Amino acid sequence: MSLLSPTAPVTTTSRLAALKVPPTVQLSFVVIALVIAWSVAPGLFTSHSPINGVPADKLLGPSAAHWFGTDHLGRDLYARVVHGTSSSVSSALIAVVIAAVAGGLIGLLAGFFGGWVDIVLARLVDVLLAIPHFLLAVIIVTALGFDTTNAAIATGISAVAVFARVMRAEVIKTRQAVFVEASFLLGGSRWHILLRHVLPNASRSVLPLAVLQFGLSILVIASLAFLGYGDPPPASDWGLLISIGKDYLKWPWLVYAPAFVTIGTVLSLNRISRWLRQTD
Amino acid sequence: MNNAYAAFAARRLVQALVVILLAYVFTFVVVSILPGDPITNVLRDPQNGFSEDEIRQIIAAQGLDQPVLVQLWTSLTRFLTGDFGLSMRSSRPVGTLIAEVLPSTLILASSGFAVALVLATGIAYGTQLVPKRYGQGLLRGFPSLFLSVPNFVIGLVLIHLFGFQLGLFRVIAPNSFWATVFAAIALGIPVSAQIAEVLIANLDHERAQDYAAVARSRGLGPFRLFARHLLKPSSLPVVTIIALTLGELLGGSLITETVFGRTGIGSLVQRSVSTQDLPVLQAVVSLAAVVFVLVNLLADLVYPLLDPRVKLVGAASRRPTTADDGASQAVTP
Repeated sequence: MSLLSPTAPVTTTSRLAALKVPPTVQLSFVVIALVIAWSVAPGLFTSHSPINGVPADKLLGPSAAHWFGTDHLGRDLYARVVHGTSSSVSSALIAVVIAAVAGGLIGLLAGFFGGWVDIVLARLVDVLLAIPHFLLAVIIVTALGFDTTNAAIATGISAVAVFARVMRAEVIKTRQAVFVEASFLLGGSRWHILLRHVLPNASRSVLPLAVLQFGLSILVIASLAFLGYGDPPPASDWGLLISIGKDYLKWPWLVYAPAFVTIGTVLSLNRISRWLRQTD
Repeated sequence: MNNAYAAFAARRLVQALVVILLAYVFTFVVVSILPGDPITNVLRDPQNGFSEDEIRQIIAAQGLDQPVLVQLWTSLTRFLTGDFGLSMRSSRPVGTLIAEVLPSTLILASSGFAVALVLATGIAYGTQLVPKRYGQGLLRGFPSLFLSVPNFVIGLVLIHLFGFQLGLFRVIAPNSFWATVFAAIALGIPVSAQIAEVLIANLDHERAQDYAAVARSRGLGPFRLFARHLLKPSSLPVVTIIALTLGELLGGSLITETVFGRTGIGSLVQRSVSTQDLPVLQAVVSLAAVVFVLVNLLADLVYPLLDPRVKLVGAASRRPTTADDGASQAVTP
């Protein structure tokens, strides 16, 4: 960026321009914006009903009238995907929030206090890591009962360990920084240092991880839905749509269309996460 | 060094045993204490036709009327002697049930792992050898793409293309050679992405080192630089990543087996989930944790012997691999 004269106002647009968002990242943001719009107001994007079909129109291929074709009950698949977005996305959000809050807290305590607290929490995290995370999600959702919210909780718990590790490493790194030492010497209390210095610095590397985990959670929740551990039909979570489509492989768009939407969303999230990590 | 190594090995061994025990306890807590009462649900299921008296007898015989801590203690001591109890559905020993399906899963997981390794090394080494204008960027995009595709989708696409369209295998014969090959590919692709990401990060890191610049200035071409200097230091740390992907293979086989209709640990878990067969779930999950912890212990113990650069300092034995992403940050304890 060129040197600005002291009087030149730094506008928001010039800041954004200085970030130089690569085109693939811009595209990713567009995809995510669309997905969010789908989940907030599905009715704006399709006039077809996701639940009531026209039996005469069953198993039609993709066309101008039915972008993703129709399923075995004559329901518009595009409408089903759009209406299923809210549940797929919000459940992934629940999972990430659980994982980031619980994992972040564990990592924060372990890293900040060290000693016995650290040792005890480290073993807890080891245990969570020792059980394959998908298997962990499966047994937790079994214990809680099969529905999409429980699948989200299970997915969140299975990702706690990842956040705990990253948070702990960041906290330890920040705690040893000179400015933290300075703050301590200036009379900053533990809480002041924790809230004012350690937490904001550590959260910078947690954000890209959270975005990445958001994408992974979509996949895990889709897998749980695929195995039938989410809400039953006529819900139209993406994983469930693919699961229904697998019984109609002669009409492959029933699998490919929802799969394409899932992959596009997760891929965009991965790209944004990588970009956030680089610009950090 | 030797004393340090012995101390390191002893500490890791104790840690591993503690983690295994805790994992068992954790699983026990999850499957037995959380809301819902699967055991009496199964017993009271009218299909089973038990009378109240029989239910009481069964509960007493299984020790389910004991306090939870006593139950935990008996099941833990049994587990340590290799007794996993009886399946609630079929009343057969859980150990036998697992042993029956284990070979099929081992075949799938090991061939899936082979696929993952070949793909990962192919992609990672490709990023170093393929020039920028011939699609290096494309190769670098593969791991991210592979991680974005649910592996049941990969399975379904393979079934659709190669099973239905090309007729290479038949879905009704899931254990045939080609069906196994494609199941292994579906399982291996997501796993390959994790290995490839770390491998690429390591290779890029090594290539930016001074010694690589020296080698280049001496006139070494990209291929010889890669083969002589970059290959070994960047591939060694992958040993530890490989151990970590084991969990991914186990979890992935759960879905892959369902998609391809194979019998195995995955289908056993799925059946046990739908019938809430807790002893089977408890055994499978704890065994998965045992295998995972032991393989990682082995990797940790072998690694310092393979790579002389690793110093065992104090409590922290850090591996040199530090790819800058969440997945591999999770690697270093």
